[in-house]
Amino acid sequence: MEEYIVELKNITKAFPGVLALDKVQFNLKSGEVMALLGENGAGKSTLMKILSGVYSRDAGEMKIFGREVGEMTPRLAQEMGVAIIHQELNMCRHLTVAQNMYLGREIMRAGQVNNRTMNEGAREILGELNIDLDPETVVGDLPVSKQQMVEIAKALSTNAKILIMDEPTSALTAKEIDDLFAIIRKLREDGKGIVYISHRLEELQHIVDRVTIMRDGKYILTGDFRDLTMEEIIAGMVGREIKEKFPRVSCKKGEKILEVRHLNAGRMVRDISFELYEGEIVGFAGLMGAGRTETTRAIFGADPKDSGEIVLEGKTLKISCPEDAIKAGIVLAPEDRKKDGLCTKLSVRDNIALPNLDILCDRLGVVNRNREKEMVSRTVRDLMIRLPGDQVDAGTLSGGNQQKVVVGKWLARNSRVVIFDEPTRGIDVAAKVEIYHLMNQLKARGIGVMFVSSEMPEIMGISDRIIVMCDGRITGELCREDATQDQILTYATRFEKKV
Amino acid sequence: MEKEKQNVLKRIMMIRGMGQVVTVTAGLVVLCIVFGIINPNFFSGRNVGNLLRQIAPILIVGIGQSYVVITANIDLSIGSVMGMSCMISATLMTRGMNPWPAVLITVVICIVTGVLNGFLVAQCKLPPFIATLGTMTVTRGIAQFVNGNYNTDAIGEKAEGFRQFFYYGKTFGFFNTVWIAVILFLLFNFVLSRTRTGRHIYAVGSNIEAAKLSGVNVVIITIKVYVAAAFCACAAGLITCATAGMGTMDAGTSYEMYAVAASVIGGVSPLGGQGLLLGTVIGAAIWGVLQNGLQFVGAPVAIRNIVVGVIVIVSVLLDVLIRSNAPRKRKAK
Repeated sequence: MEEYIVELKNITKAFPGVLALDKVQFNLKSGEVMALLGENGAGKSTLMKILSGVYSRDAGEMKIFGREVGEMTPRLAQEMGVAIIHQELNMCRHLTVAQNMYLGREIMRAGQVNNRTMNEGAREILGELNIDLDPETVVGDLPVSKQQMVEIAKALSTNAKILIMDEPTSALTAKEIDDLFAIIRKLREDGKGIVYISHRLEELQHIVDRVTIMRDGKYILTGDFRDLTMEEIIAGMVGREIKEKFPRVSCKKGEKILEVRHLNAGRMVRDISFELYEGEIVGFAGLMGAGRTETTRAIFGADPKDSGEIVLEGKTLKISCPEDAIKAGIVLAPEDRKKDGLCTKLSVRDNIALPNLDILCDRLGVVNRNREKEMVSRTVRDLMIRLPGDQVDAGTLSGGNQQKVVVGKWLARNSRVVIFDEPTRGIDVAAKVEIYHLMNQLKARGIGVMFVSSEMPEIMGISDRIIVMCDGRITGELCREDATQDQILTYATRFEKKV
Repeated sequence: MEKEKQNVLKRIMMIRGMGQVVTVTAGLVVLCIVFGIINPNFFSGRNVGNLLRQIAPILIVGIGQSYVVITANIDLSIGSVMGMSCMISATLMTRGMNPWPAVLITVVICIVTGVLNGFLVAQCKLPPFIATLGTMTVTRGIAQFVNGNYNTDAIGEKAEGFRQFFYYGKTFGFFNTVWIAVILFLLFNFVLSRTRTGRHIYAVGSNIEAAKLSGVNVVIITIKVYVAAAFCACAAGLITCATAGMGTMDAGTSYEMYAVAASVIGGVSPLGGQGLLLGTVIGAAIWGVLQNGLQFVGAPVAIRNIVVGVIVIVSVLLDVLIRSNAPRKRKAK
């Protein structure tokens, strides 16, 4: 029998309203790289957060190095040698490499921080990993790839034996990925166990030994990478039976409403061109970090554009702030509702009225409260938002109802284009279907709908046309009839340079 | 009829933040009763008139500061702008200018300061604490500079109309100073609760990113609240000038902090997005009653300061505790 260094059995974790993990198994041997695969929301990160003590589990067994672990805490995880390297790096940008590596456990001599010893220790660890870095460099001056290596070195300096890497390659270039893989191979030779989470399936062949696949919070399979075909892996990841109904209405495709020409905005929006017609929903598919959110924000004027044209009904628009876009008839329901969508300390009424005050006010800017009340109650009724009253703090609503407020505030005005960015993230199935109905209503009214989603079944079920993005570029476009998950995934992983 | 009355009451209580206003009002009533029992003269017509006149400038700067605090910013320059307003108007009047053009010039200069504050915070993205710390020092410097680093002489007989308007004159039995505060309150409260600008002010303080994505021009709103604060400080400075009958260089010292205190005691959240101007009225009244009442019972200045300081901390502490507990409870459910 083989020795596992990590054994997770029947791990279950529920968040309010969602069963995030349902009796999940996971194991890891020393000296191997285990890929943990699944779609967004499959529960990979939740599982790893339980392993590293960030979340506590509701049920299930956890054994690390053969030792039964009761309540896992971040501190205990560190002591047992579990380290996690997050997608967003956690570094003090103003400190040096060595200071970051020894953060919180500085080496002291006579009550003073001993920089020299720390620099030597850091240099030794970096040398072992063949990382060419001066420990006295300030971290903020390093490129992301090097910062990531510092994170890895930091983990090793705490004597980590189990390393969890969450999407480590998402921000790296091909050359940097090669360097990272060399380090991972080195760690494997040294007998570390590595959990590797990535969406880039084509990289797996270079480093992965075994694969565990999850879907919708459930364990699907574990197997040797060599014994599995790519098709089997993809089928395991996405091939759910689609229980949710995707309501669809067919409309006649009408006139062209919106045309975006050669839009550029930073690294994540490069030469984006597409058209949007009356009565259609265009889905934007892609992996996380493909540049879809950035594209919507650039169109809406929330972020500055470098170049490109936005043409609405034949007129070229000058959009330099969201106000311009709203006035022209383009509105955006943003992705992160807590951060960008909702004023959580204000009432539902204030939230819905906020972008529509130009309609609700008289010439002196005084709010017409009857008109306001009427608009809000109509929106609440149309969207079936369940509320004790419209003066309730919007922050206290459930996720689904919050999302309806974020979306609903845009429906009271006559917009020409409505952009939905991940409108169904983190909400329950019933609320999802209501959001789909809403998009269909807009479509039927002849409004152009742009729909960004990372969930494949939903984007295939709702869109009339699917545009796939990868690395800030459009890499493919599919009609609804021709779209298959494999095809979308192929486009979505078409990175500029293959590894 | 009875039912209708109940509905009105219910509707008022439904206004967000009204709960806190009711709580502090209860506190104010208790304070008044305590001081009234210790010294029955506290309720004499003479003292009440004086008390209201003492509260007025605190309320006026409190209104301005509340606007700024609701957008989750702070204005430290209020007290210095008050001093500048006092010195500029007094200097112009002692040099023989008619009081009303002098007032106009003073108002314009103060508003420019407000625009500058808002511009530095919103457009240049300076932390509001630093930006207004800078303008605070600059405006205090101007207050000292305008009359060559001396307090002015008495503003004289030509300015009697000015003094009567801002200080000792009475209308319908109340001092004009009190009326100025009431009118400013009504005006600013209307703007905050009933107009587009007011809604935008709350939205910016609640979630600046969401406000921006809802089409709110954050820069313009920020400039507007700083202008409001500077305008209020200017009015309070003119009142100080009329009260003393001369310009004093240190007029308004610490008033920016009194203004913060009036706002937060009254339930304006220092984290932004929440609060009612009615609360600021109560906050300013508590401040004034404490000062006046403690003075009335013969407490020395030192004790007064200690008591008032403790009250500010306790009321903000309550606010923070309530806010940090509320979401946790919700999760536990």
